[in-house]
Amino acid sequence: MDFRLAFPALVAGRLLLAYTSLPDVLKNDHQLSSPLTSYSRLQEGVYLFQQGFDPYSGGPFRHSPLLLSVFSTVFPLTRFTSPILWTACDAVAAWALVRIWRARQNIAGSMRDTLVAASYLLNPYIFLPSLAFSTSSIENALCLTSLMFACQGRSSAALMALALLTHLSLPSILLLFPVSLLLLTDPFSHLAFPRPFVARIPSLPPLLAEFTAYFLGLCAAATLLCGNTTWVEKTWGAFLLLPDLTPNPGLWWYFFTEMFDHFRPFFLMVFSVHLLIYALPLCIKYQHDGVYATYLLLGVLATFKAYPTLSDPGLFLSMSALFPETYPYLRHPIVTTLLHLHASLLLPLFHNLWLTQGTGNANFFYASTLVFGMANGAALLDAMWAGLRVAIGEMRGECEVAQE
Amino acid sequence: MLSGWLFNVCFFLSVLAARTVALHAEQFDEELTLRPLRDGKLAARFSFTTLLKGVAPRNPERLDEDDDSQHYTLFPLALGQILREYAVTEMHLTLNAGNWAYDRWGYPDDLGVSTGAELWAWMGEGGPVTVDDRWKGLRNALAGLFCASLGSLDEQRTTSPALTFQPEGSLPRWNASHQLRHATLPSEHVCTENLTPFLKLLPCKARSGVAMLLNPHRLFDADWHGLGVHVRYLDAGVEVRLAFQAVFDPVRLSSDKRRDWSLRSVFDRTIDRACPVARSSEVRVELLPDSAYAITPDPSEIDGNRATYAVKDRTEPLDVAMRWPGEEAFQYPIEAAPLSPLSVRRTLKGSSQSDAQLSVVIRNNLPVQVRSSYLETMPWLVEFYLHTLHADIGGVPRDDLVSVISYTAPVPHTRPTLFQAILTLPPKTTLHLTMDVTKTFLRYTEHPPDAQRGWDLPPAVLIPFDFGEDPIQNHTTSPGTSAKYARPARPRRIYTSVLLVDLATPDFSMPYNVIIMSCTLIALIFGSVFNLLTRKFVLVRLDGDSAEQKPDVK
Amino acid sequence: MDHSSRPLVDPAKPFFESNHTRRSIIASYWLVVLLAVPLWWTTTSIDRLSLPTSRVLAQQDKQLVFPVHVCLSTQESSLAGPTATLARVVQQLLDAEREMQERSGVHIHTDLDCDRDVYEVEVLSGTNQPTIEGKRLRFEIDETQVMSAMRLTDTLLTLLAPYVTLRSNNHQTERVLKYAPRYRLALSLLNEDATSEHSIKAWDVQGHLSKHISPILDRLSVLHNFTVESQIQFHAPLAFEPVTLQGSGQEVHGLTQEHLTVFVNSAEWTLSSSVSNDPVIHFILFVPSAKHTPLHILDAAGQPVASSAFILPQWGGIVVHNPNSAISESTVLVPSELDLMFATFRHQLMTLLGVPELSKNIQSNQSLTDWQIDALLRRRAIENAQGSKDTLRSIVQLVRQIENMPVGHDVKDDVQGSLTALEQTYAAASSSLHASIERSKEAITLASRAFFNPGMLALLYFPAEHKYAVYTPLFGSIAAPLLAAVIRELMAWRRTRHGAQQAGSKDAKEKVD
Repeated sequence: MDFRLAFPALVAGRLLLAYTSLPDVLKNDHQLSSPLTSYSRLQEGVYLFQQGFDPYSGGPFRHSPLLLSVFSTVFPLTRFTSPILWTACDAVAAWALVRIWRARQNIAGSMRDTLVAASYLLNPYIFLPSLAFSTSSIENALCLTSLMFACQGRSSAALMALALLTHLSLPSILLLFPVSLLLLTDPFSHLAFPRPFVARIPSLPPLLAEFTAYFLGLCAAATLLCGNTTWVEKTWGAFLLLPDLTPNPGLWWYFFTEMFDHFRPFFLMVFSVHLLIYALPLCIKYQHDGVYATYLLLGVLATFKAYPTLSDPGLFLSMSALFPETYPYLRHPIVTTLLHLHASLLLPLFHNLWLTQGTGNANFFYASTLVFGMANGAALLDAMWAGLRVAIGEMRGECEVAQE
Repeated sequence: MLSGWLFNVCFFLSVLAARTVALHAEQFDEELTLRPLRDGKLAARFSFTTLLKGVAPRNPERLDEDDDSQHYTLFPLALGQILREYAVTEMHLTLNAGNWAYDRWGYPDDLGVSTGAELWAWMGEGGPVTVDDRWKGLRNALAGLFCASLGSLDEQRTTSPALTFQPEGSLPRWNASHQLRHATLPSEHVCTENLTPFLKLLPCKARSGVAMLLNPHRLFDADWHGLGVHVRYLDAGVEVRLAFQAVFDPVRLSSDKRRDWSLRSVFDRTIDRACPVARSSEVRVELLPDSAYAITPDPSEIDGNRATYAVKDRTEPLDVAMRWPGEEAFQYPIEAAPLSPLSVRRTLKGSSQSDAQLSVVIRNNLPVQVRSSYLETMPWLVEFYLHTLHADIGGVPRDDLVSVISYTAPVPHTRPTLFQAILTLPPKTTLHLTMDVTKTFLRYTEHPPDAQRGWDLPPAVLIPFDFGEDPIQNHTTSPGTSAKYARPARPRRIYTSVLLVDLATPDFSMPYNVIIMSCTLIALIFGSVFNLLTRKFVLVRLDGDSAEQKPDVK
Repeated sequence: MDHSSRPLVDPAKPFFESNHTRRSIIASYWLVVLLAVPLWWTTTSIDRLSLPTSRVLAQQDKQLVFPVHVCLSTQESSLAGPTATLARVVQQLLDAEREMQERSGVHIHTDLDCDRDVYEVEVLSGTNQPTIEGKRLRFEIDETQVMSAMRLTDTLLTLLAPYVTLRSNNHQTERVLKYAPRYRLALSLLNEDATSEHSIKAWDVQGHLSKHISPILDRLSVLHNFTVESQIQFHAPLAFEPVTLQGSGQEVHGLTQEHLTVFVNSAEWTLSSSVSNDPVIHFILFVPSAKHTPLHILDAAGQPVASSAFILPQWGGIVVHNPNSAISESTVLVPSELDLMFATFRHQLMTLLGVPELSKNIQSNQSLTDWQIDALLRRRAIENAQGSKDTLRSIVQLVRQIENMPVGHDVKDDVQGSLTALEQTYAAASSSLHASIERSKEAITLASRAFFNPGMLALLYFPAEHKYAVYTPLFGSIAAPLLAAVIRELMAWRRTRHGAQQAGSKDAKEKVD
């Protein structure tokens, strides 16, 4: 299908869906939006801000002050405007994904463009949170935009988008490693013919300095808007301290619901550090392909971050469309797909049984988050394996490649 | 010699000083008000007032100095110690069971009818101990005194709704201002354990005077019952008022469905002797003007609709009885107009354990416009979405009738919500308020032992305060209809019923299971990733036993 | 791109299979782990500061002994010689009683040097009983030197070391309340039944307090602070029925010795004060109802005794008041009656606080002499020092036994402060009694505050096994591959080095060949 026709059609379809009553049904769903990305809470914060109350004095509002200022002044959130914004975010993200694909293959356009865009726009993990007006759609768009700019070599724009993303969602700071790597190398696919990263260490500090400058600038702007720094504890602090135990598809909430008070600080530290531990090894191993390293790190974040929604693994899965060369080398794609299907059936079912019907209990939903975590882990491991395996090439005869 | 003389002078002066400082009179009055209600029930209110004349509350700025000695004759020492230790100026504690039916019973004689425990206190600021520390000490001390779990009225329940809970006495003029602390515990139940220490605070205990009627078996069988301790500072001194209110159902108690009652039938006791130290000791009965009744014995005094018996003047035991000889059996009134200016119904809609909708239906029973304050003090278990607050009258949106005046957002695990608004209620209309709320998820240690029962949410409080001009009354003087609603001299609180919210519960037997399962999954993925990143690729021959062969590689 | 036809490459050929890459990956894992170690430490460590154990143990053997200096003097020139002899003989006699002195924590030294502010014995001739004026004892002698010396020794010992059995327990010390810096004196007038004719509705409590009790409290203010309060109760029934005796024409009611122990009806009387932790000393004036009047205390034989007051050890004093039938119309107590009762209360208070009684043959114009107060101060200082020593030892032992017990800064500071105060108590004993008692008060207060510090209990319920059960699932399985990788790399590195050496030596050998 022609991309120039298909893309607007997909976006228009998304927009139409957003004007149905679906968003009202979905907007408070725990799997689609976490307390940190919820549309209702965003509206509440904007309302409080406009009424003259400090939205950061209490617990319900945990969005960034920048979103607060944008939605309370420039862009009012109404049932009419919100679908446009969220559809636009999705369109930008899908467009960025297509541009990354083109940059990666170093071509101006291909038959696959439509498929790549559709993999984002038609991914249920992506469009359901977007229909719920979860701000994770904005984060995804920022993430892909940053990656697109990095592929195009526009370092300032890429770092700016990344700084904004980090400001909205603190764990994304891990992406700084692969994005810098990408900025220092080229975006082309080197998975099949890896070559070591030629160290251009002197050009790294300016990149980091630029990022820090943008980041501090955003913090300063946020502090200026709020008049104090309570927002830091309410927004970023939530990622580290997990004050709100609302269920989500991730691994943190039930663990810390059931955790003994004495061990809580320690395990909060362990879970945060655990996220950090993946960044450097992945960048070293996949130093020949920055986009792939970013992709894998997004997979890690989707599995292990504090307040994930379905859109986090959604982004990871949609990005798989960028790497067709790895498909033949996936280790157990059937198992991974079935696990994901299984989890995506169990999650809404058990969530409904527990919280709406009242016939199930918390363990039902917890078990399905474990399955979902397993599915995400399987997908991540598969992608890692295939990313390395592709370099060894096709097997002939009675041999198989394994790890000792 | 000189030193001896000096000593004598000093001694004499100190004796004089002690006498002048501490020479204060105390007086004790007791009273029982009985009010037959329209629906055949009988409201009883015991009130025991002790006034400590010429004494001011302790100034918190002098908490680090030695306090004046406390010498009391009638004033309860146990309570006096608490009040002085924590420098409390005004304090109200009520422990009630049941919902007060304002529509059928009208306003209660004592306004504090919040279900469960309610404690509020005005305390001066300044001094070495903060208001919050003293508040904590106060509630722990009262918890010990009244055997009630007031200790759980902690920061997670404490608010400061100063507009709704204005001091009932006066506040001393100190350098620093006064602060209010208010907390409710709707799940607290009042029972005999609380009544026993309550009676111990009375000078005559339950052994003489009106208090002889306080028979726990009957009191706790009543449809509604509650006790209250009210301390306030008046110009004359510090007043402690202990009150017990109950609503009995004589129709239920009688064998032939009549509403006749007597002290013996209601309390199973009579007043045998007066309390020797009470200045006044009275039983008052409110009479219903429009029914044929007989009251025995003859009252000491009848003043309008009120018959009064002075217990002290009587030599034989007093057993007041009221009979309706003309009635075969009591007929419940049907479709009678509500007796209170506002009728309020508050519910929590929605079956989900994550979201719900708070719905408040307020009917203005008066033919005039009423303005009323509306207060919600919600524990952090329930979070409001203020942007979804809407008002409508008969389906027509009227958001202009609600104006939010203050809002304190909750902080999980720490602080409750405080929400105050002013409602404008047009005459004889019903206002619907709706607001979306979200229920929070608690740590497993934060749930009570009976977690499945749910949580009681405190009542909302309305105070109608501004009664508009009545257009009908101005033109046509029609007595009987609206003159009945005499505008109250003082704004009076109306409590709504409490709500029960069921929160999602985790599995309480799971901690170790969750630790093991979650950790295993994480370790599994971590270990696999680590292996993938660090192990070497080798070729394995599938059929042969010689592994790690390297056939024709390029 | 056609992927399927790509030829196979050597699995070891891609650069990411190199040893260097692999080792840097393992190193970067360990880098994060090592960086997290301080965080690990701060989030799990129990705040457990070390306590000055050796200093505490060093205190255990010390005994507090106050040197007491008594000088003998005389105004009568004829007695100058005998006084000097008397001093010498008394000193000898006292030295013979060294063990008893030690038990009381004093060391008495007599001489003729009266310059300083010391206890002075003024020797006079005469036959009157000894009298006390402040710190001076007027002692009259007329008989033989030896008799006088023995009499004086005896007097000095009863005055300076009245607690013969201070370091062991007996009935007398059991009555005395434990030391507290502040006591609450609660006076209660209890009417058994106020509706009966004999009830008392009011009393002038303040006036009589200042007349009888306050002077004592002022004298004792060195040692204790007091909060005084009073109340009246009108219905305070007894929990038992007193026995009825047929006395001389009139029915008499009696309290047996068993009744006295259960006299306080705590279920019905509102006596306890829940507000603070200060110990309460109760004084109760009990007015029995008409049907129990008169109410007398009975001795073991069942006969009424003269006294109508009794002490409940470490709790307070009780006076039973039987209203005089002649003036029973009045509902207030007349001052003469109250004087009597408050004098009883005062005596009970002094007993409960451990004030030594003045022996009957010594006269004094004061109700509480300096000699008595000093003896009490010495006693309390010794008790406090002993108490602080015991408490400190308990803390140190407890902390040593329970390894999970946190020891915060406040506990450590309190223990150290208490130790310092204790050492100063010993140091000040020889110079100033008042300084010594002040320091001993501080020592016992700090020691008990440290002992009851709520922070020390926090983790008692988390035994070590529990901790392992929580930690192992994650760390066992995460640490294993990390450690295994390091070991494998180390072995591979050694093998390659060994191999290189062998290859080198082989090369050399080949060259040689």
